[in-house]
Amino acid sequence: MVRPMIEIKNLRKNFGELEVIKGVSLTVNQGEVVVLIGASGSGKSTLLRCITRLEDIHSGEIIVDGHNVHSPDADINYIRTEAGMVFQNFNLFPHLSVLENVTLGPIKVRNIPRSEAEHLGFRLLEKVGLGDRAYHYPAQLSGGQKQRVSIARALSLSPKVILFDEPTSALDPELVGEVLAVMRRLAEEGMTMVVVTHEMGFARDVADRVIFLEKGVICEEGASKEFFQNPRHPRLREFLGRLLNDHAFSA
Amino acid sequence: MAFEFEYHVMWETVPLLMNGMGLTLYITIIGLLAGFMLGVAMGLFKVSKYSWLRAVSSVYVEIIRGTPLIVQVMFLYFGVPMAMGTRISPITAGIIAIAVNSGAYIAEIVRGAVQSIDVGQTEAGRSIGLTRMQTMIYVIWPQAFRRMIPPLGNQFIISLKDTSLLVVIGVGELTRQGQEIISTTFRAFEIWLTVALLYLLMTFTLARLLRMLEKKLMKKGVV
Repeated sequence: MVRPMIEIKNLRKNFGELEVIKGVSLTVNQGEVVVLIGASGSGKSTLLRCITRLEDIHSGEIIVDGHNVHSPDADINYIRTEAGMVFQNFNLFPHLSVLENVTLGPIKVRNIPRSEAEHLGFRLLEKVGLGDRAYHYPAQLSGGQKQRVSIARALSLSPKVILFDEPTSALDPELVGEVLAVMRRLAEEGMTMVVVTHEMGFARDVADRVIFLEKGVICEEGASKEFFQNPRHPRLREFLGRLLNDHAFSA
Repeated sequence: MAFEFEYHVMWETVPLLMNGMGLTLYITIIGLLAGFMLGVAMGLFKVSKYSWLRAVSSVYVEIIRGTPLIVQVMFLYFGVPMAMGTRISPITAGIIAIAVNSGAYIAEIVRGAVQSIDVGQTEAGRSIGLTRMQTMIYVIWPQAFRRMIPPLGNQFIISLKDTSLLVVIGVGELTRQGQEIISTTFRAFEIWLTVALLYLLMTFTLARLLRMLEKKLMKKGVV
């Protein structure tokens, strides 16, 4: 049975005079990996941030697992535990150890005992390959390690979906792979994911569906294989062509 | 008659100044404790999502920052009791004046430190389901507090020195006591020098204590 995890209905969002999202509708089903691509300013990060109400919306509706995110009586703190967020700049808590970064949510939001939270924390850090860094501080980690900790932190509340906002854009090229590997594993385990990225290899290999945003509207979407083999819209061809020239496809 | 520096007067005066120094410390410590609490509350009001709280804080800070401490002291000791029909002791008036005055500056220090923390920290806190309050307590405040220590130290030292202005309402603190001793001994040079050195001793110790706190709070690699 296909169950919708995120339903976005005719979303509009503006910053002052500037309309950045102009009527986007989109459904992400449970277990699906959806990649959002588009030029900077196309509204892809904003769209993602609207899903957990880090941004207010102008009109339309966003439903996450049955909860209307932008309705005034929504329990936004609960919804945010269902939809985890991974940021471009990690946003780890610098005053807390790696383990404390991962256990803060379980202890304070879920009210589970510290020992139990730490047990969970170690398990999540093992999962992202950082079990031996539990007592380090974020400043002592590389960018790739920081991002893996932030993925563990997002996982700490057992969310039903994780939103990734350009998770590898702030990383040195040689550190991108370790973060993508963790994300691949999550996808294989059936995690529902929405990923804003410029990593076309990841989009092609891991995504079920790719969505191309252009000037605040969905310009083209499709299953990832056909999407890259057969881009129809000229704007998408141009976008992909530019990326190919810059990087060439890499996995 | 040529001036002769009477070094022994300084030593003889120190014990006589101890009561005054004690009172200076007492007013400073109680005043700053209250001022810190007031300042934290007002500083957090300034970053509140409620505009009326921000307004309360702004009015308070503007009034206190925009008027001289000595006028505030006089108003509090001579003015307010006249309107209310009650008297307060000079020491109480002094403590309230130091608290209310330092609170305004501390509010600005708190606001500045809280606002200097990257908005991504708040977003990350809220994104794991913490409430606004929890995000402040567990994520923003610990980071902001560390940044507050140097400017707070500055303010503490200023407030300690400001207690000398309480001579105008007859509080027998260090400066007042120095004045009184001079009025009977006429050794102005030695005694003002002693008074100055005692202030210096207190501010220096305070600065060292805060520096130690700052170091203690500084964890690996965290700025």
